[in-house]
Amino acid sequence: MSRLYSSIACNLDTNSLQAALPLFESEKVQAIEWSFDTLFALGEMPDWFAELLRAYSQEGRLIGHGVFFSLFSGKWTSDQQQWLNQLKITSADFTFDHLTEHFGFMTGEDFHKGAPVSIPFTASTLAIGRDRLQRLQDAGSCPVGLENLAVAYSLDDVKRQGDFLAQLLEPINGFIILDLHNLYCQSYNFAIEITDLQALYPLDRVREIHISGGSWVPSAVNPTKQIRRDTHDDSVPAAVFHALERVMGQCPNLKYVVLEQLGTGLTTEASRRHFQEDFLRMDALVQAAHRADSPPMLNSFLPLNPPSIPEIAPENPLLYKQQTQLSAILETATDCAQAQLFLKASSLANSDWEIENWHPEMLETAIAIARKWKDGFVQ
Amino acid sequence: MKLSKSLLQAIAVAVTCPGCGLG
Repeated sequence: MSRLYSSIACNLDTNSLQAALPLFESEKVQAIEWSFDTLFALGEMPDWFAELLRAYSQEGRLIGHGVFFSLFSGKWTSDQQQWLNQLKITSADFTFDHLTEHFGFMTGEDFHKGAPVSIPFTASTLAIGRDRLQRLQDAGSCPVGLENLAVAYSLDDVKRQGDFLAQLLEPINGFIILDLHNLYCQSYNFAIEITDLQALYPLDRVREIHISGGSWVPSAVNPTKQIRRDTHDDSVPAAVFHALERVMGQCPNLKYVVLEQLGTGLTTEASRRHFQEDFLRMDALVQAAHRADSPPMLNSFLPLNPPSIPEIAPENPLLYKQQTQLSAILETATDCAQAQLFLKASSLANSDWEIENWHPEMLETAIAIARKWKDGFVQ
Repeated sequence: MKLSKSLLQAIAVAVTCPGCGLG
């Protein structure tokens, strides 16, 4: 394990910047992660924010975290190409030490709406994911990684995600963001130990770890159960700190540990103080894990071979049709029971999606997430 | 990491959707 950087998710958000300012002033923030595509629609940023990004970029400590690329869309769209074009321009302005995206496809009707949800793990989705990752790496000219997704439809989905991520990333020598709160959500929602979940991931491919908080949501389909959601609007649970402490030593290529919290959860002085306390607790664990005599990282995660990007991006019309149907069902069904009826009548029935095995509570959660972000980010 | 005093002051004045938390 080489040098470890205690980092924060840093975006153009008043509340989160207010919470982070004392940490910047005390020189505690060693790197920042910027969701660069959240500003693609805005087209400009304040001079001081550009200066902040540049300060970290010049030290090789700016990392980019995309949101809207929709890696597994069955159809290759002009929006995705435009996204890559904008990434290329942004990367020329700000040098990223690495770039990451979310696993899954976006449920929204267009490129800036919806939320990422999972896909079937098949040869076809593997080929699409590998192609898109190559294009992402080509546009960013730096190491590329993917974050594990919190929402899964079944325990089988949960158990297979780590291996599928490894297969996806292997051709580009990519890396994993291990989001520990996402694992915490799965651990609670599927009654499986978080350490057992960690063991399902290729930890030698972990270059970045996310920690965050979330919320408990009562289930309507199972009133005895609460669902843990990755809403990033509260303090980091103790279990996530414990998971961080345990896992860092198992990740020989770890470089960044990032605290994430949305500005919507940082509206009071008390919440901002909690955020600062969470950061300092994280930093103490990171410093304890980092030893001066640590060996250098084993993997730079730079491509081992020159990219071979086909002229025509691979597509899967049936997958696209299924994704479109699923998005519509998640956004319009009145409840879980109606969604199940719609799904049984759709092209997802008796397919690789295995909707017959989906947990009702997780379908209910996917509906809630799709609804939450249905109207998008720009209106 | 150390940031310049002028940058910190600019942020302090300025503070008077991001993609995380999509769950």
